[in-house]
Amino acid sequence: MSLFCKRATTPRVLFPTVSLIFAAVLVPAPAVAHGIIGQRFFPATISTDDPFAADELALPTITSFDHETDIDVDYSKSIVRGFAIGIGIGHVDSTALGNPPARGFGNLAIAPTLEVYRNPEHEFIVSTGVDWEVGGTGSRAVAERTSTFTPTIKFGKGFGDLPESMKYLRPLAVTGTVGYVIPTASDEPKSIEWGGAIEYSLLYLQNNVRDQGFSNVVAHLTPVVEFSLSSPTRAGEGGTTGTINPGLIWSGQYVQLAAEAVLPVNRQSGHGIGFIAQLHFYIDDIFPHSLGRPIFGGKK
Amino acid sequence: MKRGTFLASLAIACCAAPGFAHAFLQRAEPGAGATLRAAPRRVALSFSEKLEPIFSGVTVTDSSGRSVETGAVVIGGHSMVAQLRPLPPGSYRVVWHAVSVDTHRTEGAYSFTVKP
Repeated sequence: MSLFCKRATTPRVLFPTVSLIFAAVLVPAPAVAHGIIGQRFFPATISTDDPFAADELALPTITSFDHETDIDVDYSKSIVRGFAIGIGIGHVDSTALGNPPARGFGNLAIAPTLEVYRNPEHEFIVSTGVDWEVGGTGSRAVAERTSTFTPTIKFGKGFGDLPESMKYLRPLAVTGTVGYVIPTASDEPKSIEWGGAIEYSLLYLQNNVRDQGFSNVVAHLTPVVEFSLSSPTRAGEGGTTGTINPGLIWSGQYVQLAAEAVLPVNRQSGHGIGFIAQLHFYIDDIFPHSLGRPIFGGKK
Repeated sequence: MKRGTFLASLAIACCAAPGFAHAFLQRAEPGAGATLRAAPRRVALSFSEKLEPIFSGVTVTDSSGRSVETGAVVIGGHSMVAQLRPLPPGSYRVVWHAVSVDTHRTEGAYSFTVKP
């Protein structure tokens, strides 16, 4: 997923004019994780973070909603098996009514992910991390000068363990994330960012429940509904805002394509219907013997 | 390096990479959830990637958990095949695991039924 999709108008990162080699060697990865646990393949969700520590690249993620267009890049690199660091950069172009146009790069975002529990039999995984939006690294026009830290818990659960009588619900899976946003500036409000995804894997349906005769292209589709929300921790700081994003993910062998509509949950969250789309590379599959492997610990 | 150059180099690198990937099941005979009038003589699974035979395998069991295969499972290229003894009517479970040549592992299971 994109590190930057979570917020409508804040951080984005410097677009480093670095080479592929630089990116390949240097960076770990943030919020773009696909993963397998047990018999379940989880595609990378694009509006919220999922719980896997993986080698991935989202390039680009394009979001257009409520008079703002964002273009983000997120890269995730596994350090050891089950631990990855993500880095995200992005460009914001805002033309909100009543405000002067604002354009520039958002703050750099760094998001480590540590998988702390895996249960393949029940297709269940829990991970944690502390996301860091590095204040002052982005353009003054669109990015905060101060940093925020967000301790986060994420999970994923597939329902392949449902009984035979509910076999057509087995392709269902959910992911979730809850984070407590702590700004370093004392005058900025704390908040809780939370969200998740409900997805139905046609691949799981085809291979594990009943062969539907899907073509290879159709079988790799995953209908998904994501929701990404933010709630203040104190009364008087406004209500919950966010979006609900229904869409479709197609997962190939090496790349993933995804597109979702962006629907505000209330008036405070924005107006109109937007969209988000992403091209996503599975680096662990593209470069299994080099860039796609953990830096330490060797084989997956 | 300009952004366009960066993107182009990345795209070329990704597309040109001699990649391997997770071995996903692409075709199964009999298929998941199939109900058959005639007992199958074998289970044949085809995958998206070349398999590592030593670390891949499939088992087929009846409703009491007894194996119904005869002989060794044949694994080669993108496929694995298990020959079956004559199957009486009943429900059968196929459980497979596949390790592609780049060591990525996948697994799966499904059932099929032989009608009386």
